[in-house]
Amino acid sequence: MKNNIRKLLAILLCAALLIGGTACSNSGGPDGEGQAAAKQDGAAEGTAPEEIPFAPAFPADTAAAINVAGHYSNFEALEAEFDRFNEYYPNVELSYTYLDNYNGTIEVVLSSAEAPDIFFSYPWMLEREDLKSVIETAEDLSDPSLGMNLSCVQEKLLYRDAAGRIPILPVFCTTYGMLVNEAIFEKEGLEVPKTYDELLSVCEALQKAGYPSPMMGYNRNSFLLLPLSFPYFCAEIQGNGKALQDLNALAPGAGEYARDALRLTADFIGRGFIDREACDALENDYQAVILRFFEGDVPMMLATGGTVSGTEKRESMSDAYAANPFPYSYHPVPSTAEGGYFLNQLSMGFSVNSNSKNLDMTNEFMRFLTRTEELSRMAQIKRMVTPCRDMSFDGVYASFGALSGGHVIYQSDVGLEDEPDKQMRRAGTRICDGSMTVDEAVAAFGTFTD
Amino acid sequence: MKKAWVIAANILIILLVIGFVVAYAGKYNRDYVASRIKAFEDRTFAQEQITANYLRGEQQLCDSWASYIRSNRLTMDEAVSFVRSSLSQSGVTAAVLWADTSEMNGLSASAKNGTTDDYSVSYRQIHLFPEDGIGGTEMDFPDGRINITRAYTNPINGLQSIAFYDPIPLNEDGTTRQALLLRIVPTSLLEEQWVFPKEEFQNAEISLIDAEGNYIIRGKSFKNTNFYEFYKSYNTTDLTGMEALTDAVTSSTGSLEMHNSKNQECLVAYTPMQASDGWSILAYMRMEDLGTGSVDWLLIGVVTAGLLLLLILDSAVMLNFNRRLRAAVKEAEAANRAKTDFLSTMSHDIRTPMNAIIGLTSIAEKTLDDRDSVRDSLRKISMAGSHLLTLINDILDISKVESGRLTLNAADFSIVETAENLINLSAPMVKEKNIRFNFRTSGIEKEWLTADQLRLNQIYINLLSNAVKYTEPGGSVSVNLTEEPAEKEGFVILTYVVSDTGIGMTPEFMAKMYQPFSRQTDSRVNSIQGTGLGLTITKQMVELMDGSIECESEPGRGTTFTVKLTLPAAKRKTTEMSLPDADVLVVDDDEVLCETAVDTLCSLGARAESASGADEALEKILARHREGRDWSAVILDWKMPGMNGAELARRIRGEIGDGVPILLTSAYDWSDIEEEAKASGVNGFLSKPLFRSTLCRKLNELLGREASAKEAEDDNSDLAGMRILVAEDNDINWEIISMLMQMNGIECDRAENGQLAVDRIREAPEDLYDLIFMDIQMPVMNGLDAARAIRALPAPHAKTIPIIAMTADAFSENVAECLNAGMNGHIAKPIDIDLVLKEIRIIKEKKQ
Repeated sequence: MKNNIRKLLAILLCAALLIGGTACSNSGGPDGEGQAAAKQDGAAEGTAPEEIPFAPAFPADTAAAINVAGHYSNFEALEAEFDRFNEYYPNVELSYTYLDNYNGTIEVVLSSAEAPDIFFSYPWMLEREDLKSVIETAEDLSDPSLGMNLSCVQEKLLYRDAAGRIPILPVFCTTYGMLVNEAIFEKEGLEVPKTYDELLSVCEALQKAGYPSPMMGYNRNSFLLLPLSFPYFCAEIQGNGKALQDLNALAPGAGEYARDALRLTADFIGRGFIDREACDALENDYQAVILRFFEGDVPMMLATGGTVSGTEKRESMSDAYAANPFPYSYHPVPSTAEGGYFLNQLSMGFSVNSNSKNLDMTNEFMRFLTRTEELSRMAQIKRMVTPCRDMSFDGVYASFGALSGGHVIYQSDVGLEDEPDKQMRRAGTRICDGSMTVDEAVAAFGTFTD
Repeated sequence: MKKAWVIAANILIILLVIGFVVAYAGKYNRDYVASRIKAFEDRTFAQEQITANYLRGEQQLCDSWASYIRSNRLTMDEAVSFVRSSLSQSGVTAAVLWADTSEMNGLSASAKNGTTDDYSVSYRQIHLFPEDGIGGTEMDFPDGRINITRAYTNPINGLQSIAFYDPIPLNEDGTTRQALLLRIVPTSLLEEQWVFPKEEFQNAEISLIDAEGNYIIRGKSFKNTNFYEFYKSYNTTDLTGMEALTDAVTSSTGSLEMHNSKNQECLVAYTPMQASDGWSILAYMRMEDLGTGSVDWLLIGVVTAGLLLLLILDSAVMLNFNRRLRAAVKEAEAANRAKTDFLSTMSHDIRTPMNAIIGLTSIAEKTLDDRDSVRDSLRKISMAGSHLLTLINDILDISKVESGRLTLNAADFSIVETAENLINLSAPMVKEKNIRFNFRTSGIEKEWLTADQLRLNQIYINLLSNAVKYTEPGGSVSVNLTEEPAEKEGFVILTYVVSDTGIGMTPEFMAKMYQPFSRQTDSRVNSIQGTGLGLTITKQMVELMDGSIECESEPGRGTTFTVKLTLPAAKRKTTEMSLPDADVLVVDDDEVLCETAVDTLCSLGARAESASGADEALEKILARHREGRDWSAVILDWKMPGMNGAELARRIRGEIGDGVPILLTSAYDWSDIEEEAKASGVNGFLSKPLFRSTLCRKLNELLGREASAKEAEDDNSDLAGMRILVAEDNDINWEIISMLMQMNGIECDRAENGQLAVDRIREAPEDLYDLIFMDIQMPVMNGLDAARAIRALPAPHAKTIPIIAMTADAFSENVAECLNAGMNGHIAKPIDIDLVLKEIRIIKEKKQ
């Protein structure tokens, strides 16, 4: 009798272990992990259809080597994806190569013996005649036979070339805004400004409180107040076909479309809330800007999403921040009485080298990446804005998630080409350095050179 | 110590051993890891030398080009043409750049990818050199230094490359301009040649970094484009930590442990490149590839499992040992109890006959004048003495059985004689209890067998006496003794079956009936004398003789014991027997007996028939008589239904006269019927069973073919005049033997010890003594030594005079000792006078 009971118990235990093991295996693996953080869909284009989990198309022991080339000096987010992909294909070697002078060398590199299987690509490449061969080398990701789930990406970030192909998989998006030292605001009893008037009031209060330059930003060879006025400029011309036509054609008088934005720049710079000399001391718009912000005495630092992506990693590199850490966040710069804008720009994408020696496995890797989970994970690690429909913002981007309606602008909707974009920046630079008035800059629009 | 404490102590020891093994294995592992790390660092340092030599070699090639260009004041085109013609190694290329302009442009030795004639090149966006070019700065190029760039993307061919460079002056329109000569080597080429030795450290990878940590050459597992960024990405650190790390990597040889992108522990050994300021070599390896851990855990696992197994095994053995000890203690206690019970029983059983002997002796003393009373007392004393002797013999036997010293002394004996003795011994008991007794034999072809007759008798008597003892009056006891040839030649199987209709035994008792001191508990049994040792002794003896004993019994129905022994037939031949020309009629209601007797008679040459009752017998006798050919002899059973043997004899005599001899057979003592039978015309008596030899001898006697054996049971006059030397130290024993001998006309001389006996024989004339009775345990000289001494005497008669041991040392080995000492026989005390006289007669007959 005892023996029977023992046998029964042993069978039950084995069954429990099997069931438990099965349950564990179901929840394991990259796809079994929880989805990325809380979603804030205020700025989202729409919700994506439910995704099918990644299903490997090749045997797990398939061996291959895939190289990704780009201009990021470090790309931990991609290397994390390499590791995750290796869980499916442990014998696939994945590597990332930094290319010097990326724009100048990518064409040569693609024709070399060490041509990458995947390379960085940008929307502006579609317009560049000198990079035409680069885009032509890129595979059409919309080809149904490839099985890419492009529907997970916001439609307005999918750029097509002249032939109607989609050569770029959006990977990261960026925008313009300002880093806010929340500790200072809290200390001074101030709220982060949401309108232009509030911005002025806050700057005034901060100056009175002993912050000579309530706002700072990178100023070398760039447009200091770009985060303030450029989204506003884009909002002004969005949907104005005539304006866009004139601007893209650099037609005489097209500068008038930039007048309001330039006036805003002049107005703010004229109020003395920015110490330009201090801004000129910033050597670059990345590490130098971040470390200066971490000094802890700058209430607001103008920055792009690219700059924000470097903040977390550099927290440990700042003695001041390590000694006195403080909460910070990234906000739209309030340029109007209604608030600021979220100008959603594609920062970087991936293209597949159609001449890849490992094209099948490369497409398999791209298929793996083209999913909300992986793209969002990369964006989270990189601290950039995800290109996916389901936008999962890092906490630092929270205020952008709160914007909606006309305050969310897609660069692709604006339709501004590269040259009028540059003219706008150069005009702004002249305003900031005081070498031109607004009228002079408007008049000279279309004639600025580096 | 309690069991739990023992187990706890064992577990503690095991834990201590495991702890020691873990600590030792840990230390061994740490030492092993430390030695491997040291070896890895040393190998990395050695790699620095190899790398430096390689880089110096490449630099020297670049230097030689520069030297040629300098000495010949070449123009840009000439310089490029020269280096192009000097390129010999596949994949390696070169470029010459103007160094005095921020454009850092110039000409490449090879055409740009996709073109055949575009040699122009600009390094402005590569940022390998100061932004304003090196022409305007005072760059230092000491002799012997390796000038090498970081790994960069070659704008000409798109390959990741490093460049060795030298400043060169170029002639341009008669003026001298500063330029840079670049010898460009693809990193893939370097990686092919610059590998970490795999023999000792598989999966090791190597990288070369500049002062800022940027990879010049990068191993596959090194992430990011900068080693320090790689470290920061996957390891927790702060600015101070990073500064310390940078300082260590750029200025010393050593190693650090860090986590890679998969959060695996890995080891990075570093050593600075002496040949190039700020550069360092990094060797990378996962800790698990150092071969640590697994062996130690295996060792610990094996030791742990081994100790646990040992504990379990020891515990099992200990528990089993304890269980056996407990069982042994229980057995010992049971044995002690049994012996105590036995002693108590023996005390009772010895005291009982002793009480009878002492009491009856006292009565006899006081009634000396009443002859009948004295005779009755002496008879009862004799019975009590016999019982006491049996009891003592049993105790001695069981003592020998328990000590394993029971041995057999094989000798030739007659199975017929044995059976007759059995009948004779049991007859009084059977008669006393009024039990029907039947003794049958069959197949006794080999009369003389070889075995320990004493023990065989003991077996048979024990079983038979038990059957009689436990059978109530009116019941029956039957014995079947069968002889049949054994498979082994010269051997016979002797089967002895004793059946009774007695009280029987319960299965519970049968399970332990062979254990010493076991007696069936029964109100009827309690009145029966017994030691509870008989069956034990019997079984031991049967097994000692390689035989078997089986028992079937049922309470109230009776018991059957079957003993089977395989014994060798003696070489001694049975005397040739025959009964030619004899017609014999066997009359018995026992058909088996009739059949057996007829077969036996026929085998002797007689013509025999049988009759199952008196009427049939009379008819056959009369028929023969009428035909004028009477039976030569008629054998009648005494007890037959209807008409007993005596009455039938009378009828026969009445019908046909005295011409036909009549033999009466009975399994009982016929002393009570002898007178009546003889009066009825019976000529002789035969005891059942009817043995071949007995039957032949008796019939031959009746038929006048052989002289009738003289029945001299009570007539010992033939022994008168004999003289015996009795060596006996005990006065009472001397008195008994001398008196008994005198009563039979035999003279005795006494020797009080062995030495005196020897002296007497030495001094005595040759024919003075017919025999010596020799006690064994005597002062001065014991009987054995005395026998040897007598045999050693020079006188011839001393060597032949019969010496019979007469001793209380009654064991068979004592008998053997006596025979070995030169004696001729052994009589155990207390003496049986008949046996003594029989022995004396045999000696006398031999002497005659």
